[in-house]
Amino acid sequence: MLLRLWPEETEVAFMSFRMIAVIISVSALLASAALLATRGLNLGIDFAGGSVIEIVEPEGVTPADVREVVETAGITGDIVINSARSTGENATNLEVIRFKTQAPREGENAEAAQQNANNRARAALTEAFGDPTLDAEEAEEALIRSSAAVGPKVSGELFRAGITALVTALALMMVYISFRFQWQYAVGAVAALFHDVILTMGIFSLTGFEFNLATIAALLTIVGYSMNDTVIVFDRVREEARKYKKLELSKVVDLAVNATMSRTLLTSGTTLLALLSIFLFGGDVLRGMSFGLIFGVIVGTYSSIFVASAVLLFLGIDRGDKPKREVEGFTGV
Amino acid sequence: MLNFPAWKVSLISLALLWGAMMALPNLFSDGFLGIKPRETVSTDPVEQARINAQLAEAEASWWPGIMPTSKLNLGLDLRGGVYLLMEIDPSEVVANQYESFRSDIRDAWRQRGEREQIIHSPDPIFTEDGRMIYQLRDPSERIGISEEEQMEDALRRARRVIPTIGTGQTDMFSINEGLNNTIVIDVPAGARNELTRKARNDMMITIRNRLDPNGVAEIQITPQGDNRIILEAPGEADPKRIKDNLSRDGRLTFNMAEGSESALRAAQQTGSARPGFELIQSMDPNDRPILINKIPEIEGSDIASANRCPDPDTNLPAVCFRLNSSAARKFYDLTATNRGRLFSIVLDGMNMSSPRINDPIPGGNVIITGNFTVEQAEDLAAIIAAGELAAKPQFIEERTVGPQLGRESIQAGSRASMIGIILVGVFMMLAYGLIGGFAVGSLVANIILIVGALSGLGATLTLPGIAGIILTIGMAVDANVIVFERIREEQRSGRSPATAIQAGYERAFSAILDANVTTFIAASILYLVGAGPVKGFAVTLAIGILTSVFTAFVVTRWFTSVYLRTMRPKRLAI
Repeated sequence: MLLRLWPEETEVAFMSFRMIAVIISVSALLASAALLATRGLNLGIDFAGGSVIEIVEPEGVTPADVREVVETAGITGDIVINSARSTGENATNLEVIRFKTQAPREGENAEAAQQNANNRARAALTEAFGDPTLDAEEAEEALIRSSAAVGPKVSGELFRAGITALVTALALMMVYISFRFQWQYAVGAVAALFHDVILTMGIFSLTGFEFNLATIAALLTIVGYSMNDTVIVFDRVREEARKYKKLELSKVVDLAVNATMSRTLLTSGTTLLALLSIFLFGGDVLRGMSFGLIFGVIVGTYSSIFVASAVLLFLGIDRGDKPKREVEGFTGV
Repeated sequence: MLNFPAWKVSLISLALLWGAMMALPNLFSDGFLGIKPRETVSTDPVEQARINAQLAEAEASWWPGIMPTSKLNLGLDLRGGVYLLMEIDPSEVVANQYESFRSDIRDAWRQRGEREQIIHSPDPIFTEDGRMIYQLRDPSERIGISEEEQMEDALRRARRVIPTIGTGQTDMFSINEGLNNTIVIDVPAGARNELTRKARNDMMITIRNRLDPNGVAEIQITPQGDNRIILEAPGEADPKRIKDNLSRDGRLTFNMAEGSESALRAAQQTGSARPGFELIQSMDPNDRPILINKIPEIEGSDIASANRCPDPDTNLPAVCFRLNSSAARKFYDLTATNRGRLFSIVLDGMNMSSPRINDPIPGGNVIITGNFTVEQAEDLAAIIAAGELAAKPQFIEERTVGPQLGRESIQAGSRASMIGIILVGVFMMLAYGLIGGFAVGSLVANIILIVGALSGLGATLTLPGIAGIILTIGMAVDANVIVFERIREEQRSGRSPATAIQAGYERAFSAILDANVTTFIAASILYLVGAGPVKGFAVTLAIGILTSVFTAFVVTRWFTSVYLRTMRPKRLAI
């Protein structure tokens, strides 16, 4: 007996739940907006500027010791120190040091201030915790696992580029869907995308996961995935609407959602399995990104049924006897 | 749709075979084909590179020459290394141009006698918005010339010496009459951009020569925009050495120096030198400052080559360099006419060495000794040989990944991929039985194709890129799932296996096309705006979309049709 995530030939009236879905979605959107407005996002250095230095925790050293060393290097403002553990064999304890954009000192500009502060912090950490039997360069290499310093100019640009990317992707998809379907479908699909993006940003605000370039990549992938899901449902709506010309639109949508439900669950299932393995085994660097993707896949699956289809139902579709505008040739039927 | 003629089968097989061939070199250990950094045998980087190449060749001698050898190009986040983004300030480039234009324009305006000078003072005024302004002399101080005549004369002479730039031969400066008997010199926007771009390109060459004088390191230097340079140095763990190296202007000159004790003492006491001379510090803190003649005798561009060499007296590391033939002759004349005097080798306003001239020196071979380490001598030689930087780079972003973190990321990434593939594979077999197994087969083909395409294209694999591959594995089955669900439906409505499969593929096509085009749009935009690791993610995602549509739609279908023809099942277990 093969695994069935969804029974065959169901007739669940999904669209009759759409008012409940509207309430859930709207309150989730409002909550996200409120979180983003009040708590904001935990912007990583890609977007906020600043430095991150990751060192191997020396024997018997506490985060307070690390802070003291960084402070003596002349770093000002918030210094956040987190303990972590590396993956794989010979896992070691790590300390991750973050500090924000540094104010320029005498004779420095804003860009040089950040780079110099990073150099000072690296040098001070090496001097305090480096292996004294090695020469300075080797000691630094052994102690510091990674470091990054992003100046204010670059971080501002990266932020703008990220936002531009999201908006461009949404616009282009809307154009493509309008071209392949009708404009009502495009509006429904893009409404679902906005829904997914805002909720995902809301969850990043709630959990405090770092929001960085990789998160933008995750958001764009969610946009792609959710669109993919919506298109599958819409493709079926288009087909059923053509087949049952007299049937009420809400029934048509229900038919389509029921018919594609098994596929929706299976694809989401395999994608989630793959993502879960990144989240659990892919290490710290990928954790925020895979978390965003997991959340986005779940929300994207929900939204393609209850947001995209509900909006389509609200707008109605063009079912006149006009010659069909869809590109039939593609299907080969 | 289920009919696969021989030519189709051979095309599909060829595609798969190609992918497998391209992916093959990746199966071998790190050492294969000389990718792995080797133990240092020689301190000479050129010698070391030769040894590495020989070892790699010996190791790979059994490998057929027609087979591909390129492996996945690992990103800095996986290999470890230094990433630096630097920026040139266009106004600094312009200021340098003004500086060298000043002597041309002075020559153009030079008159025989003091009473005939055109300009009031040889020093122009620089404005905030980057213009250079000369005040002309009050014509009343000159005989027989009106204000108009003087202005016209000055403009004509100055415009004759305007240099051009670029292939369009645009004028580098615009020279116009200003208010109150002045001449305003400006760099037009077009020339400014051209200058910045040229400075950036020159700088990329200088950086390459400084950091990799022997051409053996895997340093990547790429332009970004008009005035930025990205420097990627895999395997390098210390950004400081690179930054220090690039922070030096590299301006080398030979200047005559003042040998008299009293002049030096006077300058030290007042803190300023007499006109035409300059007081500079010595590199060796034990040496005294030195008074040099401001106008250099020989400049950095006169140097033909420079390298590290042993000091003939002490055998300690030193820097030797050779002047080109015309400068060597000039140097001989200089030393012949100035016996007993001091001269100074000046690098970036610092006295490196100030020997007394005993005999004329032929041949143009010069050595700088000092308390250098091997590394310092090497860096200094590279700086001298590479010459002056067109502008001072401003570092605006730095990312360093140590080799240990890189190794751990590779481990974590491969483990996550393996587990992901197994989970997805098991899930597919549970859901669709035998046909699900075909999908798993095409999934494996898909991964081979992705790895092959990435290796063949020379694309860079980053940690987010590995995540992209895993995500593609999850999403690649989607096309299969859509088809299989359709086949289930068609079979339920009473069709035979063959027609059900046929209809399933036909009906699913439009949905699969639309769904993948939209995801591909997202991936392309990510590629266009993303930087570094994120770009790697976009590349694997985009390649993954193409290969997964191919494998799901062609490879799985082929497997299924072979099964149908050979087993002739009455009903599909799906």
